Amino acid sequence: MKKTVLVLGLIAIVASFGFAGGAQEAGGAGAGDVTEFVIGNGAEPESLDPHLVSGVPEHRIMMGLYEGLVVPDPETATAVPGVAESWEISDDGTMYTFTLREDAQWSDGTPITAQQFVDSWLRILNPETAAPYAWFPSMFIKGAADYNAGEAGPESVAVRALDDRTFQFETVGPLPYTLDALSHYSFQVVPLHAIEEYGSEWTLPENFVGNGPYTLAEWSPQQRIVLEPNPTYWNADKVQLDRVVFLPVEEDTTMYNMYINGEIDWATNVPLGQLEQAQLRDDYHVSPYLGTYYYVFNNGREPLNDPNVRKALSMAIDRQLLVDTVTRAGQIPAYSMVPEMTGYPGIEGLGDDLDTARQLLADAGYPDGEGFPELTVLYNTNEAHKSIAEFIQQQWLDNLNINVTLENQEWGTYLNNRRQHNFDIARAGWIGDYQDPNTFLDMFITGGAMNGGQFANDEYDSLIAQAAQMQAGPERFDVLRQAEQIFIEDEMAVMPIYYYVNLNMIDLQKWSGWYANIMGWHPVGDIVGAN
Amino acid sequence: MSNQPVVPSGHDSDDAGQGVVNEFDQPVEGVSLTKDAWRRLKKNKMAMFGLVVVVIYALLSITAPILPIHSFRYQVPEHRDLPPSFTKTAGELWYERVEHRMYQLAERDGRTTLTPEQQDELADIRHRIETETAMIDGQEVKIHQWRYILGTDHLGRDMLARIIYGGQISIAIGLIGTITSVLIGIILGAIAGYVGGKTDYMIMRFVDVMYGLPYMLVVIILMAIFGRNIFNLFLALSLVSWLVVARVVRGQIISLKNSEFVEAARSMGASQRRIIFRHLIPNTAGIIIVFATLRIPAFIMQESFLSFLGLGISAPFASWGSLVSDAVERMTGAPWQLFFPAMAMTLFLFAMNFLGDGLRDAFDPHSKNRL
Repeated sequence: MKKTVLVLGLIAIVASFGFAGGAQEAGGAGAGDVTEFVIGNGAEPESLDPHLVSGVPEHRIMMGLYEGLVVPDPETATAVPGVAESWEISDDGTMYTFTLREDAQWSDGTPITAQQFVDSWLRILNPETAAPYAWFPSMFIKGAADYNAGEAGPESVAVRALDDRTFQFETVGPLPYTLDALSHYSFQVVPLHAIEEYGSEWTLPENFVGNGPYTLAEWSPQQRIVLEPNPTYWNADKVQLDRVVFLPVEEDTTMYNMYINGEIDWATNVPLGQLEQAQLRDDYHVSPYLGTYYYVFNNGREPLNDPNVRKALSMAIDRQLLVDTVTRAGQIPAYSMVPEMTGYPGIEGLGDDLDTARQLLADAGYPDGEGFPELTVLYNTNEAHKSIAEFIQQQWLDNLNINVTLENQEWGTYLNNRRQHNFDIARAGWIGDYQDPNTFLDMFITGGAMNGGQFANDEYDSLIAQAAQMQAGPERFDVLRQAEQIFIEDEMAVMPIYYYVNLNMIDLQKWSGWYANIMGWHPVGDIVGAN
Repeated sequence: MSNQPVVPSGHDSDDAGQGVVNEFDQPVEGVSLTKDAWRRLKKNKMAMFGLVVVVIYALLSITAPILPIHSFRYQVPEHRDLPPSFTKTAGELWYERVEHRMYQLAERDGRTTLTPEQQDELADIRHRIETETAMIDGQEVKIHQWRYILGTDHLGRDMLARIIYGGQISIAIGLIGTITSVLIGIILGAIAGYVGGKTDYMIMRFVDVMYGLPYMLVVIILMAIFGRNIFNLFLALSLVSWLVVARVVRGQIISLKNSEFVEAARSMGASQRRIIFRHLIPNTAGIIIVFATLRIPAFIMQESFLSFLGLGISAPFASWGSLVSDAVERMTGAPWQLFFPAMAMTLFLFAMNFLGDGLRDAFDPHSKNRL
C-alpha cells in the first residue's frame, strides 16, 4: 500500500514537471498572444550605457536599445541607414555629411538632433568619461585622439552640426571602412537630456531613454534584461517581437541545456563537450568569424628575436590536426594574420613544413633543439586555451625537440603582462572591428599599444601609414598585402593558428531575420517570428 | 620513549582477548607508547584497510616510472576521448567512433550509405591502424594496438598514467606540505609553550594574526608574488597551515612542562633544548601523528581547489584536482575522464581519514593498555 502511494506520488511529481516544462516551451515558442524571444547572452552587461561597455554580450543588447547613424544589415553586417536617412562622402574620402531622419526621436519623444550627435561623440572622447572603447572613434575622427589623450580641447575634434538635421565629421584619412564602423556602439548617440537629469541612474528601467527598436522594460541584475518595443521608433512597423529577454548565462553547457529544454531561443555559443551532438541538429549554425587565434612571439627576447626561430616554431605545428582533434568546430587553419575577406587577395603564408622548420632551427644555432632555452607559453585561464597550448607544447617537443612550460593567468593579469612585454610566447585572439584587413594589421606598428610582441619594422610602419592615406581599391589592398607579407612571411612576428568560427543554436524554422555573417552581428530588431 | 608509568600488561598483543587470565601473576613487560598504539591499530579493521590502501597508493606513485604504463604526457590526437576498455585496442575504438560518426552525419543528411570519400577515409584508417608506428624512447611502437583500460583524455593521453602520475603529485603535496607545516608548528609551538612569557606572547599573537587572514587569499597572493611553480605551491600551502599545529603543541607542552619527568630532567642538568626536543616533543607525538594524517587529505583538497581555480599545477603535469577540473566540462560526453580521477582521489581520502581516525584512537592516552 505504502509503495503504491509512493509511486503515485512520484508520478504526480513527474507529471507536474512535465506540464511545467510544456508550459515553458509554449511560452518560448511564441504561442498565444505574446511573442517572446529569449537569448542566452554570455554574461551580465557591465552597463547599459553604450559609452561605458566593451564586450560582445553588451553589443547584442545595445543593438536592441539604440540605433546609430547607420545600422548593420543583418545579412552582410555592412552599413544601411539608421538615424541618418542619407549621407555624402567627399571626393577625397575624409568628409562625411549625414542627413538625419525627420522622425528620429527618443523613446520619451524628444527629437534627435545633429547637435546631440556632436555632444555624444565628445562625451565618449572626453578623457573624464574614461570610456573603454574611446580608442575606436579616436582612430577615425580627426582630432579625436588628441582630445581623448587630454592633449587638446573638445574644439579640436572635427565634428559639427550644420543645422538640426545635418551632421558632419572629418576622418584622419580616406579610411574606406569608416561607414561600416559607424554602426559600432562607440559611435552611438546618447540621450544627454536624460543623463543630465538622472546622472548614472539613467539606464535604470524607470529612467531609461533610448532610440532603438526596443526599449528597456526590466533589468534584474544577474537574472534577466527584458526589452519591449519602442513605440516612438521611426520604423516601429518592422518590430514584431513583443518581448526580448536576455539571460546572462555564463556557462556554455548550461546554455546548451537550456536551449535543448526550450528555455531559450538563441544560444550564442556551443560548448565543446556538446559539439558532436549539436552538429547533428539542423538548428546548429557554424559560420566563419572575422577573427584570428594566434600566438605572439616576444620579438625583443632571445632567442625569439631571430626570425628563423620564429618561423621554425610556426612551421612545426600540424594545424589541420589541431583543428580536427582539439578545437573540432570547423575552425580553419591559419597561415596569415588576415582572414579571408572580400576583395583582399591575402597572402599564402609559410604553411606547415617540418623539414624546413628543423633546418631553420639548425640555421639559428639550435640543431635538433640543442641548447634551446626553455620558453614559457602564457595563456589566460580557460580550458580551450589550455588544450591548445598542451597540443602545441607536445608538437614542439616531438617535432623540434624543444621544451616549453605553460603558464596560465587570470584575464586581467594576462593582459597586463602581454602589454608590458612580460612574456616569451603568449596566446592571443583578435576579432576584427570592421571588414577591412587594416583592423588586423595596424595594431602591430612599432610602439603600438596592442603590440605586446614588440614587433618593429620601418617598412611595415610606412606601408600601414601609406594605406591609411589611400582611397579604397585594389592598390590599397596591395599595399596592405605587402605589409602582411613582411609581417608573416618575412618576419613571422606572430604565429597565426586558426581563424575563428561563430557557433550559434537557433531554430530558423521558427525565427527569421537572423543570418550568419562574418562579424557575428545579429541585430535583434530584425528578428521576427517565421509565421 | 615513554615517560608514563609502566603498568602490567595483561598479555602479549598476539593472543589478546583469549581466555581469562589472572592479571596479577603475569610477568611485567614494558610496552612503549608506539608499540601499544600499533597493537591497538591492528585491531581496527577500517584503519588497517586505510593503511593498506595508502601503502598501495604510495607504492604505485613511487614505482610509476617503471610500471608498464604509457607516458602521462604523450598525446595521440586520434585517440582522444576513447572510453575505457579491456578488450578492444585503441585502433578499434577509434575506428568505431569514426564510423559511428559518419553514419550519424549520413543520417542527418538523409543518407543510409557512406559516400565513396568516407569509405576511402575508413579504409585509410584501417590501413593506419595496421601499420602506423611511433618512435617512443627510441623504440618503434604500434600505437593503435595500445589498450587503455581507463580510457583516454581529450588530447589522447592515457588516463591510467595520468591518474598515477597525478597521484604522485597530489600525494607529494600532501606529504611535503604536512611535514613542513608540522615541523614549523612543532618548533614554534614548543618554544612558545616551554619558554612562555614574552616569547610565547609574541609567537601566539603572530599566529592569531595569521589565523585572521583568509587562508586561500594568502596562498593565492604568495603564488602571485613568488611565481607559479610546484615548489612555491608547496611553500605557500605549508606556510599558512602550521598555525593549528603550533597551538596544539603549545597547549600540550604547557600542560606537561611542570610534570615530574621534566623536573627530573631539569634537576639532572638537562639543557632547555634537550628538555624540549628529547622529553616534551615526543610526548606530543600522538597528537601530531593524528593531526598529520588528517592534514594530508586537507592538503590534497586544497591543491585540488587551487587547480580548479587554475592556480595549481601547470600543464602537462596533472594532479587529481586538475584532472577532475579538466573533466568537468566534458562530463556528459566522456564521464570516465571525471569518474576515475575522482574515484582515485576519493578512495585515497577515505583511506587516509580511516587511518587518521584509527591512529587517533590508538594514540589516545585514555585507552592506554586497553584493547
